[in-house]
Amino acid sequence: MDNLIACHGCDLLVDVGNLEDDSRAYCPRCGHFLTRYQRDGMSRVLAYAIAAIVLLLVASSFPFLSFKQAGLESVMTLYGAPGSLARYGMPALGLIVATFIIIVPSLILLLMVMISVPLLIGRRVPWMHAATRAVFALQNWSMAEVFIIGVLVSLVKIMSLATVILGISFWAYSAFSICFILALVSLDRYQCWQLIDQLEAQA
Amino acid sequence: MSTGAVTAADSDLASCHTCCKLSPASLHRCPRCGATLHLRITDSVQRTVALLITATILYIPANVYPIMVTEYLGVPEASTIMGGVVVLVKLGSIPVAAVIFIASVVVPLAKIAAMFYLTWSVARRKLEGPRRRTKLYVVAEFVGKWSMIDVFVVAILVALVQLQGLLAFYPGIAAYSFAGVVLVTMVAAENFDSRLMWDQLEEKNDSSRT
Repeated sequence: MDNLIACHGCDLLVDVGNLEDDSRAYCPRCGHFLTRYQRDGMSRVLAYAIAAIVLLLVASSFPFLSFKQAGLESVMTLYGAPGSLARYGMPALGLIVATFIIIVPSLILLLMVMISVPLLIGRRVPWMHAATRAVFALQNWSMAEVFIIGVLVSLVKIMSLATVILGISFWAYSAFSICFILALVSLDRYQCWQLIDQLEAQA
Repeated sequence: MSTGAVTAADSDLASCHTCCKLSPASLHRCPRCGATLHLRITDSVQRTVALLITATILYIPANVYPIMVTEYLGVPEASTIMGGVVVLVKLGSIPVAAVIFIASVVVPLAKIAAMFYLTWSVARRKLEGPRRRTKLYVVAEFVGKWSMIDVFVVAILVALVQLQGLLAFYPGIAAYSFAGVVLVTMVAAENFDSRLMWDQLEEKNDSSRT
């Protein structure tokens, strides 16, 4: 029963067999996505995760947007968005926004590195199971890409009022969200646990 | 098996929701990753309906109260979600108005309606179109988080535009309720178990055979 998956959509037992490189399996009954095999899947996860971490650090260090009107200028950083909600009486909402756009993505990236490095170098680590469970529990709660659309909508809303300048941080965060999504789609739940099983069978 | 479809539950196997490992349904914890095992999500329909009702109630203050206050030359002006859409239309930004309208009005309402329909169809044991209903569930689950756009817009404008005395934005109370709607509908979608629809189909096929 090594290659059996119970479809998450309808519970049908599907034998996915040995998938070819870069092929996906779908449930024949309900059409739900089952798994995707990539020979270099884990290397991809690590590569995109590292790129995303670097970009997120850049995005944290520079102005995100600046706004000029009648000689006055105000600047917003990435942390300013949740921070200002806290400052104007909505700390809980600020925390929710920070969670979706910074905290959850950072945690996922950290966990990805903690999972993919040991799997790639073939070393057993005590946190493997906990970290893998956590990464799959968190993966639906990141909203980096939604935030980017939010930025674009905000731009249009205030464009008529003043000059708005996109900062380095905006471009870094946009690139970060692309790398982040690529890392997420490279991390396949079924394949990841298969690799963990293989690693533990060797030792 | 009347339809030739063998499910994990038929084979007394529970699929672990975190690691996909198949284990005997009698176990309480997944032997591989340690997550709690269950054949189906416990009280899936009740939990989903309870959360949907919560989301529906939260949706009312989210639309009635202002989501943002604009202070221009010291004069505050509150705007609701729909008010913001109307302003954008007047400014001539039809595409952006459409984005906000779809993200803040169409998506949450459609998601709540779709999830109510799905739980109703399971509770009433409607058997038709399980594949179509599974697809509807997947789409409803996917689009949910895009509703956060308006909350992010508020966060960005409040952080960016603080020219005291000239122009400033402040968050309105509806931002809380609206974020609540998005969060609660996301949890509701996670609590729905689409496998129940297929179980009912199987039961029907089995009983018609005997």
